[in-house]
Amino acid sequence: MAKKRILLVDDEKSFTNLLKLNLEETGNYEVRVENWAEDAYGAAKEFKPDLVLLDIIMPRMPGGNVAAQIKEDSELKDTPIVFLTAAVRKQQVEDAEGIICDFPCLAKPATVDMVVETIEKHAKRR
Amino acid sequence: MEPAVKVLLIEDSPVDSRLLRLLLSESTTSHFELAHVERLSEGLKRLSEERFDVALSDLTLPDSHGFETFQALHARAPDMPIIVLSGVDDETLAVKAVREGAQDYLVKGRVDGHVLSRAIFYAIERHRTEQALQESENHYKYLLESITDYSYTVRLENGQPIKTIHGPGCISVTGYHPTDYEAVPDLWYQMVHEADRAAVEEQARRALAGETPPPLEHRIIHKNRQVRWVRNTVVPSRDRQGRLVAYDGLIADVTERKRAEEKLVTSEAFYHSLVENLPQNILRKDLKEQFTFANQRFCSMLGKPLEEIIGKTDFDFFPPGLAAKYQRDDRHVIRTGQTFETVEENVAPNGAKTYVNVIKTPIYDAKGKIIGIQGIFWDITERKRFEQQLQKANEELARSEADLRKSHEELKSAQLQLIQAEKMESIGTLAAGVAHEVKNPLAILMMGVNYLTKKFPPGDENLGLVLKEMKDAIGRADSITRGLLDFSASRQLAIKSQDLNSLIEGTLQLVRHELSQKRIHLVKEWGERLPPVGVDKTQIQQVFVNIFLNAIHATPQEGTITVRTYVKQLTETSHSEGSRKAAAFWVGDTAVVAEVDDTGSGIPDEYLARIYDPFFTTKPTGMGTGLGLPVSKKIIELHGGSVDIRNRKTGGVRVTIMLKAQREQT
Repeated sequence: MAKKRILLVDDEKSFTNLLKLNLEETGNYEVRVENWAEDAYGAAKEFKPDLVLLDIIMPRMPGGNVAAQIKEDSELKDTPIVFLTAAVRKQQVEDAEGIICDFPCLAKPATVDMVVETIEKHAKRR
Repeated sequence: MEPAVKVLLIEDSPVDSRLLRLLLSESTTSHFELAHVERLSEGLKRLSEERFDVALSDLTLPDSHGFETFQALHARAPDMPIIVLSGVDDETLAVKAVREGAQDYLVKGRVDGHVLSRAIFYAIERHRTEQALQESENHYKYLLESITDYSYTVRLENGQPIKTIHGPGCISVTGYHPTDYEAVPDLWYQMVHEADRAAVEEQARRALAGETPPPLEHRIIHKNRQVRWVRNTVVPSRDRQGRLVAYDGLIADVTERKRAEEKLVTSEAFYHSLVENLPQNILRKDLKEQFTFANQRFCSMLGKPLEEIIGKTDFDFFPPGLAAKYQRDDRHVIRTGQTFETVEENVAPNGAKTYVNVIKTPIYDAKGKIIGIQGIFWDITERKRFEQQLQKANEELARSEADLRKSHEELKSAQLQLIQAEKMESIGTLAAGVAHEVKNPLAILMMGVNYLTKKFPPGDENLGLVLKEMKDAIGRADSITRGLLDFSASRQLAIKSQDLNSLIEGTLQLVRHELSQKRIHLVKEWGERLPPVGVDKTQIQQVFVNIFLNAIHATPQEGTITVRTYVKQLTETSHSEGSRKAAAFWVGDTAVVAEVDDTGSGIPDEYLARIYDPFFTTKPTGMGTGLGLPVSKKIIELHGGSVDIRNRKTGGVRVTIMLKAQREQT
């Protein structure tokens, strides 16, 4: 089974490193990390991910703009985007049954299991 | 034999004195007792020592000359006759002395015994007669002056007065002499006071007509310009044929009586005016409690004329209880002789009730014996009413002052709340920033722990334990940041109409594990027919979870927790501490109230003020974040409700949540 391609956009380098490590450790995912939001769209065009894990609060450009760029791109518009952010609380996510502002959300800090579960739920089927 | 005639002889010439002594001793008719001195001073001395019937004195003495000698003697003994002895050459001087009061004078050398003794007797007799006359004159003069009545006669001819003769008494009454009246025929008429002239003329007219008019009292102007009152009584006088020939009048001075009468009348008018015009009711009663006097004011209060009041008692006019009271007070005055004063309610015969001020005093007769009482009373209802109003106003003032003080206290408390609110807000803002920044590192740690957990599969117990504790620590840190965010978030509430009973019932399901673990006895007292509340169900459940967890933590094993709901009509405005809103509830609002009582040890007083402070907790480290109550409070306030936490008198804590009832949809 082909590995799922995950684009991870977050300004926290340590976080992206560790999450990438954890996800790849499962053997089910190929993870590309992008630490600068303005580079995310270019990376997506290039990497063509099955799912984007997107932080919201980032320097210079918020995650919402990245999501908009992707959704406006005809080629990428069907790419599922999951917000992985400290800006929402777990309770909110639960109350909203995982969907906030039409996007699935994960509240930081999330366990690897939760991240995997969410990816499996929303990622494009290959 | 007649008593001896005592003679004082003052003569410095030895020859003359011896001769005179000889002449007197030779008298056959009388016996003379002679005292002889040579100087005036000696003579005066003798006069002050004893009484003499007569003095014979030379005018030229060694210590006095001429007329002064006589004057000195006469002044010393005015009642004693003095015969002056003179020489041939100074007879003129002797004559002058006689003119001034000496009884006689004798020229020395021309006197024989007979002449001398006759002169002495005559002198004594004449002097005695003169004195008697003087006394008589004085007496009559005094009488005349004392008499104030006198008569006059008007003689008539052909019915017309031709002459008026006034008796001598007219002087004292009118100041004019009878001759004055003769000189001025209409003097009497002129004297009559102008205002009385018509009456006097009328009296005279009737007298002339032969009638006997009644006595007339009228005024005259005395010669000294004073006004005097006279009583003029006229009596016609007829001759044998019955013709009127004169009329006699008697004038009596009645000025003093008239003045006394006038005084009396004036005084009586004065007191009458006082009694009838004073705004007081005045009454008198005798010892039998019968009215003897009532002024007009009191009469009209009783609604009866005076004659129907005199002789009656209080029982004829007032309710029996009141009448008995009045008489009791009267008897007190009569018994003690003291003034009685009181304020009491009076009920008039017409039923009008008034407050009256009463003063009762004893009435004494001329001998000082109490013969009754006098009562004076007046209406003070108005004053009483004003007093009451004043008192009421005072009370209101005191009340509004208390209100003011209370408002001031409330203001102070509101200010404190505002300060608290400011504090909370800044903590909230700070917390939100911190929480977000903490979460990212936590996320990293979580990733790291997850990775390590995978890389070291079970086998090494210690390693597994370390990783688990690290994971728990991340969880704890996360829950704190979550609480901070809850606290600081200005969130949108998903308000829906909820039934508070079912909401709380649902919440209890969430904590049933904790309840059963401590075998806590749960008492539910659901209020019936609660109006719905508009709340965000999740939020409010979070609050109740918090409250229940606190209660469970506080309650000992197998303790009791009571949940109670009810409806309350607010009768006072409530202020919610820490809220920026002025008041959560207003008078008249309907609130749905939930109370949670635990049976724990209560909150120590020193902590009560801090329970809403973020991070304040009494739970062991790791057991509580210190954010539960601040967050709960914030949620309730966002709902426009209020939280109250206090120790119950019977022990344990009561948490009271008040939420606004939704208006019933009709």
